Amino acid sequence: MTLPAPSEFAGADLALALSGSWFGAGLTPEAVTRLAAIAEVRDLVPGDVVVAEGQVAETLGIVLSGRIALRMLVPERGTVTILTVEPGDVVGWSAVVAPYRGTDDAVAIEPVRLLTFSGERLRLLLRADPLLAASLYPRLLQSVGRRLAATRMQLLDLFAREEWVRSETKQW
Amino acid sequence: MVIDERLPYAPYPAPAGTAVAAPPAPIASGGGVGPWFLARANLGVLIDLLREDGRTVIGPAVVDGAVTLAEVRSVDELPAGVGDEQVPGRYRLVQRGDRRVFDFAVGPTSPKRWTFPPVVPLNVGRRDGRAVSFEPSPIDPPRLAFLGVRACELAALGIQDRVFLGGPYTDEDYHARRRNALVVAVNCTTAASTCFCTSMGTGPEARGGYDLVLTELDEGFVIRAGSPDGADLVARMPVRGADAGQMLRAAESVGKVAAMMGDPVPTAGLHDRLLAQFDSQHWSRIAERCLSCANCTMVCPTCFCSSVTQRSDLDGDVSTSERVWDFCFTAGFAKVAGGSFRSRPRDRYRQWLTHKFATWVDQFGTFGCVGCGRCIAWCPVGIDIRAELLSIAPPLGARPEPVRPKPVAATPGFYATARIVSVRPETADVTTLTIGDVDPAFLAGEFGQFAMVAVPAFPPVPISISRFGRDTIDLTIRAAGPATAAIIGLGPRDEIGVRGPLGTSWPIERAMGHDVVIVTGGIGLAPLRPLLDGIIARRDRFETVRLFYGARTPADQLYREELRAWAARGDVEVELIVDRGTPDWTGPVGVVTHLFDQATWDGEHALAFVCGPERMMEATVETLESRGLPPDRIFVTLERHMECGIGLCGHCQTGGLFVCRDGPVFALSQLGGIFGREGM
Repeated sequence: MTLPAPSEFAGADLALALSGSWFGAGLTPEAVTRLAAIAEVRDLVPGDVVVAEGQVAETLGIVLSGRIALRMLVPERGTVTILTVEPGDVVGWSAVVAPYRGTDDAVAIEPVRLLTFSGERLRLLLRADPLLAASLYPRLLQSVGRRLAATRMQLLDLFAREEWVRSETKQW
Repeated sequence: MVIDERLPYAPYPAPAGTAVAAPPAPIASGGGVGPWFLARANLGVLIDLLREDGRTVIGPAVVDGAVTLAEVRSVDELPAGVGDEQVPGRYRLVQRGDRRVFDFAVGPTSPKRWTFPPVVPLNVGRRDGRAVSFEPSPIDPPRLAFLGVRACELAALGIQDRVFLGGPYTDEDYHARRRNALVVAVNCTTAASTCFCTSMGTGPEARGGYDLVLTELDEGFVIRAGSPDGADLVARMPVRGADAGQMLRAAESVGKVAAMMGDPVPTAGLHDRLLAQFDSQHWSRIAERCLSCANCTMVCPTCFCSSVTQRSDLDGDVSTSERVWDFCFTAGFAKVAGGSFRSRPRDRYRQWLTHKFATWVDQFGTFGCVGCGRCIAWCPVGIDIRAELLSIAPPLGARPEPVRPKPVAATPGFYATARIVSVRPETADVTTLTIGDVDPAFLAGEFGQFAMVAVPAFPPVPISISRFGRDTIDLTIRAAGPATAAIIGLGPRDEIGVRGPLGTSWPIERAMGHDVVIVTGGIGLAPLRPLLDGIIARRDRFETVRLFYGARTPADQLYREELRAWAARGDVEVELIVDRGTPDWTGPVGVVTHLFDQATWDGEHALAFVCGPERMMEATVETLESRGLPPDRIFVTLERHMECGIGLCGHCQTGGLFVCRDGPVFALSQLGGIFGREGM
């Protein structure tokens, strides 16, 4: 399937792409229209960095297709993938939350189609339009909250190899 | 309920407050109607007769400062003039001036020590090169006569009859011991402060389950027969008909004891009241005093939990398996690879008390307590269960529905042998064994069932059957301890012992015509692989089929080639995720719910099958429920410590369920408040 080039997306297509995603499906129609007005479609190739850890986060993105890895660098251990961002979810939420700096590296690991919003323009828009903000922030919080819960589960390391346990070596 | 027609007794009537029938009428003997009177000087005749019949008489004797049960060879060994004082945490003997031999309340020992001994040999396992054999220990119990069994103890024997003989599987050792024992009961004419048989509806008067029953008077004993054997004994004894005065005094002395006890534990609604209190703060308060010493369960005449231990020679070629008493208060009792399900004393106390007074009723139709008061007197810190029960308050709670177990498999100790055909390493610590020469029962097993697998010198371990072949089964085993390490260290043509297939299965029939969602993690894929095999074999009978599988790292995924093959079919959606990505892993990273918490399908027409660590299953269930799946269409497996695999040893209990027998596959709706609750 050949996709239209990013530049060929018109306003209605952008609104459709947005409302068809998991993230956009939770927004009001008015919010979708207003957001689509400042949205752009970007195509990434594997290795492209959307957000860099510690750097100013320029864009909020919604993954339309493909996969983005959230990675952190540990000296002498290399980069560790903490989580992957799958279609429908957001990447670069730091662009709308102070201090507007990335919390990890977001790197495309497949060809990715992304719906992007300039952080600066989005913040201005949200400040000027409390109704839009009230529509967008809960969805954003839901996404970040889910990520937090998932990270906690990972932290539990449920599949770690257990030590040999007493029930097999001693009765009581 | 007829427990066993070959036992000489009618089953003991269930305590008040539980279902079941009225007490059976005493059996009139062929030699007369009774009751009879036996002069005190002639009590020795009864003991002599029992011994002449080849029976060892087990009766009351003073040992180590307590009236306990021991072999009695003559009437002079009975505790004449001995009484007792019992209060919470204290037991002392007192000397009276009289000659009465049964005027004390129950001591620490009950007939359970002989009907369900603390140690019973099960089998001898031998290894000879690659071959193994398991020789079941002979069941040949001694002929016994219990003398002086109290009403509460008769009730306890009746309860253990239900546990060991009343279910789909029976304990043959218990059965033989029980059939070989004659019971001479004694109605209580005294009670300790710890006694509460009146509340539990079991005493002080024996109401059945005996061959003979005596009521002690100063000058002798009023005797009734409760079975043909008892009547036969009476016919050989120097008795005469009891007169009206003797019968009246006997009835009065027993009635006086009942009045003394009152009704310290009101049992009406107790089952529901207790089950509503799983989250009570009271459990923590009890645990501040409880030492988890298990004294209460050791003296309890109904506690039936056991473990199997191995003793082997130094090279491990010959080992003896023994069944030993085990106790839900010990640290290892509910342990599985990865930890204990009841690590805190409050969880263990809750397990014990709710079992005795609530979930036992669900399992066996009677309370698990007979009101003998032993656990009160022998508790080193004097915890009084009567007071603890009263401290716990009403509302009604929901109860899980019991599931009928599948009638397969044999008793612990009996193993069929099977031969390893091939060995395939799956990951660094997981190996799949393909087993041939198996009993046809295994090949006819159902998806999700498990086998108890044994090699000599190691405890048997429960292993899910991970594939049913034409004439083989697969067992996928993680090296979690010495036993599993020993099993996966075996090679082709080595033999192993197997029992099973055991437990419940995934309800594949119910999923036909529905969407199927399978969510699993780690080695949890193993018990689900037969289900996938079964679905793929009849793929057109199912709607969409989705498999979501999480593993720690890509190298920890089981059945990697098969996962690829399933995905390549095009009619099974296979999505894999790992907790920790590697540089060459380009798939999703995160927890397994990450694979479908943003998907667009809905679960309205789906059945879900979930297997993995309990914490993972909880998160999965939440996500599935948010997709519209109701609890009766979500199936999970529980993992608990299993020893016997057939619901007799008590280890795997959770709430009113035996995980090995009623599970391990459960509909979420069956589990109610058990699922995900800490300490169950």
